[in-house]
Order: sequence, then C-alpha cells, then structure tokens
Amino acid sequence: MVRERYLMQLCLFKDSLLSLGEQAELIFSDSMDAVINLDVELATRILAMEPKIDEIEEEIEASVIELLALQQPMASDLRLVVSGLKITADLRRIIGLSINIAKIPGKIEGEHVKPLIDTKKMADITADMLRNSLKAFEIDDPKLARMAASRDEEVDKLFYSVWVELLEMMVKDSSIISKATHLLFLIRYLERIADHCCNICESVVYLTTAERVKLN
Amino acid sequence: MTETAQIVAQSLIEVEDLNLWYAEKQALKNISMQIPKKSVTALIGPSGCGKSTFIRCLNRMNDLIKNCKIEGKVLLNGKNIYEPDVDVVDLRKQVGMVFQKPNPFPMSIYDNIAYGPRIQGVKKKDLEGIVETALRSAALWTETSDRLKSPALSLSGGQQQRLCIARTMAVKPEIILFDEPCSALDPISTSRIEELIMNLKKDYTIVIVTHNMQQAARISDYTGFFLMGELIEFGKTGQIFENPVEKSTEDYITGRFG
Repeated sequence: MVRERYLMQLCLFKDSLLSLGEQAELIFSDSMDAVINLDVELATRILAMEPKIDEIEEEIEASVIELLALQQPMASDLRLVVSGLKITADLRRIIGLSINIAKIPGKIEGEHVKPLIDTKKMADITADMLRNSLKAFEIDDPKLARMAASRDEEVDKLFYSVWVELLEMMVKDSSIISKATHLLFLIRYLERIADHCCNICESVVYLTTAERVKLN
Repeated sequence: MTETAQIVAQSLIEVEDLNLWYAEKQALKNISMQIPKKSVTALIGPSGCGKSTFIRCLNRMNDLIKNCKIEGKVLLNGKNIYEPDVDVVDLRKQVGMVFQKPNPFPMSIYDNIAYGPRIQGVKKKDLEGIVETALRSAALWTETSDRLKSPALSLSGGQQQRLCIARTMAVKPEIILFDEPCSALDPISTSRIEELIMNLKKDYTIVIVTHNMQQAARISDYTGFFLMGELIEFGKTGQIFENPVEKSTEDYITGRFG
C-alpha cells in the first residue's frame, strides 16, 4: 500500500470527527437533563466544556487545511475532507445550541410552567437523529442518513404544537411570560439542532454517493 | 441528448476497438474513445499502462517501432488514419506532437519555427508572420522577439518547450498531442505551459498524457484512466476526480496504488 501516512491521517481525521460527535451527543443529552430537572450544577459543568470544544474544532480545521494543502485528496478522500469540514461546523453549532439550552436552568426560578412532555419527545427524536447521523457517517451508510433525516418532520410538528400551546398559555396568564419564553427558546434550539442533524445526513449522502441532496 | 451522445457528436477523433501489440505483448486492449473537439483530454494511469502508446497511435508514431502490430480504427474527421492511402507526413502535420523533453532543432529560434512551413513550401515573405504568430500563441514572443537569430538551445528548458509548441503550431495542426510535456520542467515553467494549453483549446483539440494527476485535474475537460492496456474509465474531469465510477480509478487517483 502506498501513501500509508496519508491514509493514516485520513483515518485520524474521521476519528476526530466521530469523537467530536460523541462530545456533541453527550453535551446535548446532559443539557436536556439539566433543563428538564432544572439542574443548575450540571448546567454549570456543561458550560465549562466550551473552551475544550473550541480547541477540538480548531484542531479539526487545521487538519483539513493540512490535508488539502499537503496531500491534495481526490475522489472519495476529497469528499471525506469537504464533508468532514461541514460536519464539524454542524456539530459545533449543535454543541453551541446545547450550551444555550444549558444556560436556561440558571434563568428559571422554581418550576417549569408546564410538564415538558412533548418537548422531551422532541429531544428524544433529535437525539436519535444525531446518533443515527453520526452512525451513518461512521459506517458510510447513505440509507441510514436519509432515514435519520426523515424524522425532522416529527420534530417540526412537535415544535409547532408546543409553540402554539405556550403562546396560548401566555395569552391566558401573562405572569408566566418570562418562564414560558425560555421554553420557546428551548424548543427553537431543539428544532435547530434537528436541522443540523439533517445537514450532517446531507453531508453523509454526499460523502458516500457524491450526490448533493436537500433533506430538510 | 445524453452526455456520452453529446461527446460523440462533437468529437474529432473516434477510436474504435484499438488493439496494439509489441511483438507478442499486447499493450492496448480494445480501446474505444471519442475525443471531443476543441477541448483538453488528459490521459492518466500508472507507468506502463499504455497511455503513451495510445497517444502515439493518434499520429501513427508507433509505425516507426519494429514488430508493432495495430488493429482497429482511429477516425480523424471520420477518416481512418490507418487506411493504406493515408499520407503519414500529412497526418503528422494535422496531428502535431510535443514530447516530454524539449527537443528544439540545433538551429536558431526563428529557423526552428520556420522549418516546417519552409518544407511545406511557404514563401520566405510569409515566414516572418508565421513565426511571430506561432511564438505569440506559445506565449514566447516577448521573451524572444529581440533574439530570433539566437540558437534555440540557448533558451531555458521551459522556453524550449514553448518553442516546441510554437514549432508544432506553425504548421497549423488541428490536434496537438502532448506526451508528458512538463515532466522535465520546474513548477513555474509548468504553470506557463498549463496556462498555454488551456488557452490553446480555443483553436486546437488537445490530448495530453500526464503523470501528474493534479495537472490533469487543473487543465483538462475530459480524463481517461488507463490501466494495463485498457481504458478503464473516460468522462468529464470533474466527475473523474470527484466521483469516479470504477474502483480502480478511485484507487489510482487517491493514491491507493500506482
């Protein structure tokens, strides 16, 4: 086998993306726990992780630039590097939005204005989308990517129903506006995270088939 | 019309079932390809894959090799160049060639360019114009206009190669074949030749054999990948380098073998 060092670099590149993906899953899941249980202590621990994430992101970007400049990847290698860069940006946004979620517990005093049942459902579907989009990336599976992205519709539907529910509650009782607004933000963040999962799925389809698709 | 059909409609050279043997050894196997007009077609593949042998079939350079047997057709504007009534000298005028190592004649810059047209019987008064046009087209005029009488061998390697391109153009071919034209040149001279080739496709059909895949990717419109005497894949350069169909093409261009 020729270009062994280069192939090793590509493997390491993919590994570093997958490990960023694991971080994203973990931070997202902890953030949801923190917001559901209004666990400020957990939320604080999550917020402290951001500088480390920035470091990982910078390392990945540097390895992309190095691969492009020094190795001139072609064909599926090129698609891996290009998709990888896009996936990094999506994962970074997912982590950013999860961190926004983790900021909510510190802003809410007392209990939530309503039990977070549909919001929890949204979060579960979104977590599933994230897990499967990363799995699809790991095993080069465009079918799994498309399947993962197809759940975005469920997230969107739940988003609108919770949105309407919260607005109605606010109209009825203006004293809850402040707390309810945080929940509006929360469902917005979840909806955005699901969109970023769709982007990751699009990148996986491109990586594996060279087809450019829109999945949300 | 499908993409392949479009290529056929605009093609200048059509190769049909070309087979070539050097004595017992078969060097080209059933090659069929349509080379589109006024575009750059790059041929890539590992050493010994047959790409240089193939390009040499397009102006019958292999005729000069002992024990070389060729079957199949190479149609140029619809006419098979391997028909017995084809004048090979005329053919090579129509299909010029630039080689790996610059090979100017040991004479002046001017005479290098004027050599071909003179043999063709071009009058002396017309020669100056031809020399200037050819040197301008080869982006060499500004560097040589004040020393046309200097020996061609006093030029740098890159300039000598551009001189050879100018010499080829002086006899007004339709097609120019380049057999690894930059492999003996430094990166700056290489860039000049690449730029030149991209400009030349306005007027000429260009086929280039190159070992440098990035070069093929940079300058060609179509790419053919050869392996062990076979044309494995032929298509638009963007497609070949982004998403080749064949596994062996993918392996070669990503450096998995070669």
